[in-house]
Amino acid sequence: MHASELAEVVPTVTRRTTALEAAQVIAEHRLSGLIVADDAGIPVAVVPGTQVLKLFVPRYVREDASLAHVYDEAGADELCAALEDKTVAALFDSDEIRIQSLPSVLPEDTLVEIAAVMVDKHSPLVVVRDRAGSYSGAITFSRAMAAIASGAARRQPTTGTGGSDGSEGAEGAEA
Amino acid sequence: MTVQAILAIAVFASAYVLIATEKIPRVAAALGGAAFMLVIGATGADEAFFAEETGIDWNVIFLLLGMMIIVGVLRQTGVFEFLAIWAAKRARAKPYRVMVMLVLITAVASAALDNVTTVLLVAPVTLLICERLGTNPVPYLLAEVMSSNIGGAATLIGDPPNIIIASRADLSFNDFLVNMGPIVVLLLAVYVVMCRFLFRKSFVYHADRAERVMALQEREAITDPALLWRSLGVLVLVLAGFVAHSALHVEPSIVAMLGAGLLVAVSGLTSGKYLADVEWETLVFFAGLFIMVGSLVNVGVIGQLGEAATDAVGDNYFAAATGLLFGSVILSGIVDNIPYVATMAPLVAGLVASSGGSTQGGALWWALALGADLGGNATAVGASANVVVLGIAARNGHPISFWTFTKYGMVVTAVTVLLSWPYLWLRYYL
Repeated sequence: MHASELAEVVPTVTRRTTALEAAQVIAEHRLSGLIVADDAGIPVAVVPGTQVLKLFVPRYVREDASLAHVYDEAGADELCAALEDKTVAALFDSDEIRIQSLPSVLPEDTLVEIAAVMVDKHSPLVVVRDRAGSYSGAITFSRAMAAIASGAARRQPTTGTGGSDGSEGAEGAEA
Repeated sequence: MTVQAILAIAVFASAYVLIATEKIPRVAAALGGAAFMLVIGATGADEAFFAEETGIDWNVIFLLLGMMIIVGVLRQTGVFEFLAIWAAKRARAKPYRVMVMLVLITAVASAALDNVTTVLLVAPVTLLICERLGTNPVPYLLAEVMSSNIGGAATLIGDPPNIIIASRADLSFNDFLVNMGPIVVLLLAVYVVMCRFLFRKSFVYHADRAERVMALQEREAITDPALLWRSLGVLVLVLAGFVAHSALHVEPSIVAMLGAGLLVAVSGLTSGKYLADVEWETLVFFAGLFIMVGSLVNVGVIGQLGEAATDAVGDNYFAAATGLLFGSVILSGIVDNIPYVATMAPLVAGLVASSGGSTQGGALWWALALGADLGGNATAVGASANVVVLGIAARNGHPISFWTFTKYGMVVTAVTVLLSWPYLWLRYYL
C-alpha cells in the first residue's frame, strides 16, 4: 500500500492556536499529534501528542513527578483552564521540547518507508508531499498500524498455503 | 623557582581563569589543567592517583558519591515534597510563615545531606506552593538557596568545601558540629528575621489562594511508605556513623559508602534510579582540581607560598583568621568556592602546622570554612547550589538575573560574615 492511499486530511493548527484549541483538535479527531502549519497553511512541523501534554503539566511537576500526586480534582481543573492562556508557540520556545523538522514521505512511498520515517523521527504523524512540495494529507500512527495489521492478515492465508505445498515444511526441516 | 614550577603556575592560572569565566565547561578546564600538569612533569601517576597530599583525595570523591547515591534513593520516597507541603499547611499558607518553614527545612536538610541536592529537591515543590499562593517564587527560591549555604556550613557533609577541609585537616564530623554548629544556628535565626525585611513585598496574604495550598494532598507524595521508612532508617544509621566515625576510626567516606550500599540493597531500586542523582561531572571536576593543586604542592609552589604566609602571619593568628575569613568571602563570590577551598587547603594546612597545633592556629580552618561557605551567598556564581537554583528558576519561567541575586546575596553575606567575625574572636582568640 502506498502513502497516497493511506493519506487522509488531518486538521492543522498554527503557532497562535491556543493550547486548549489544540487539545480539542487532538481529542475530536483522535490524533496522536499535531501538524503545525504556517500562515499560508503549509505544514512546518509535527508535534507528538506526548509533547503537547507538556503544555498541561507544569515543568516543576515534570522535573519532580511525585508532585503530580498532590493535586486534587480542583487543582487539576485549574491546570486545564490555564491552557487557554498558552499557545502552540510555547512548544517551539521551550528548550526541552523536541520539534521535529517536518517528517514527510512521497506519495509513492511504501508502508516500510512510512514506518521507517515514523520510527526515525519519533513521530506519530507523517505528512505526504510530492516532489514539488505540495501537501496532500497526512498518515496517522493508527492508519499506519491498521495498514500493517491488514498486510499481515493478507499474508496469513498465503503462509498457510505455503505450508501445505511443502515450502514451509522444507524451511522447518532446515531449521 | 624552577622552570617547571613556573609552567605549573601558568597552567594552574589558565585553568582557573577558564573555570571562573566559564568560557569552557569547568570539567574540561579542570581535566585539561590536570593533563597539562602531567605533560610538563609537574606530577606523575603515583603522585596524582596514589598520594593524598599531591593527588586525588579519594575520601572526598567517595564521600560525595556515597551521599549522592543516598539522596538518589531518598528522593524516590517523596519525603521532601511531603515535608514542604506539610510545613506550608502548618503555616496556614501565610506567605512569611511559609518562607520561614521552607528556609528552616532547607537549612536542616542541607546540613544532613548537601546543599546542591537539597535545593534540587526543595525548589520544585516551592514553585508548586508559590503557584498555588499566586505569588512570585523568586524571593522564596532566593531565601532557600541562601539558607542552604548557611545551613550546609554546620556539618562536614553539608557543603563540598567542608568535605575538602575535613579531609585535608583531619577534622571529624563532631568537630564541625561543635565549632560551626553554634554560629550557624545564630546566623539562621538572624537570617529568618532578615527575610521578613528583604522580601517584604512578597508577603501579601489572600485567603482564597491560601485555600488552594490547604487543598494540596501532601500524603499522596509518598508513593512507597515502606521505601520511605527503610530509607529514613538507613539515613539515621549513616548520621550516627558520622557522629561516631572518629571513635570508630572509620573515615566519613566509608560511612557514606556503607550507607549507600545498604540503602541500595534494602531499596530494591534499579541502578538507573539510584544513580540518577550522581553528578559524575562534579566528581570528575574534583579529581581534576586535586591533580592540579597537588601538582603545585609537588613542585614546591604551595610550600613556598605557605612559608611566605607563615612569615607574614607570625604569631598573629587572629589577623590571619580575619584575613582568611574576609578574603575567602570575596574570592568565593568571584569563583565557585570548591576550587577556591581546594587551592587554599594546603596553604592553611601549612599555617596550622606552623602553629604547633594550637587552638588559635587550628581555628584558621573555621575561618576558611565560614568565609568560603558564607561567601558562596555573595553572588550567583559563588556556590554550586546558586547556579542550580538559577537554572531551575529560568526553566520554569522565573529567571533570576545575576544582579538580582547579588543584590540580596551581598546583604546576607555582609550580615552573616560580620556576625561570624566576633564569633571567631570570642571563641578562639579572646
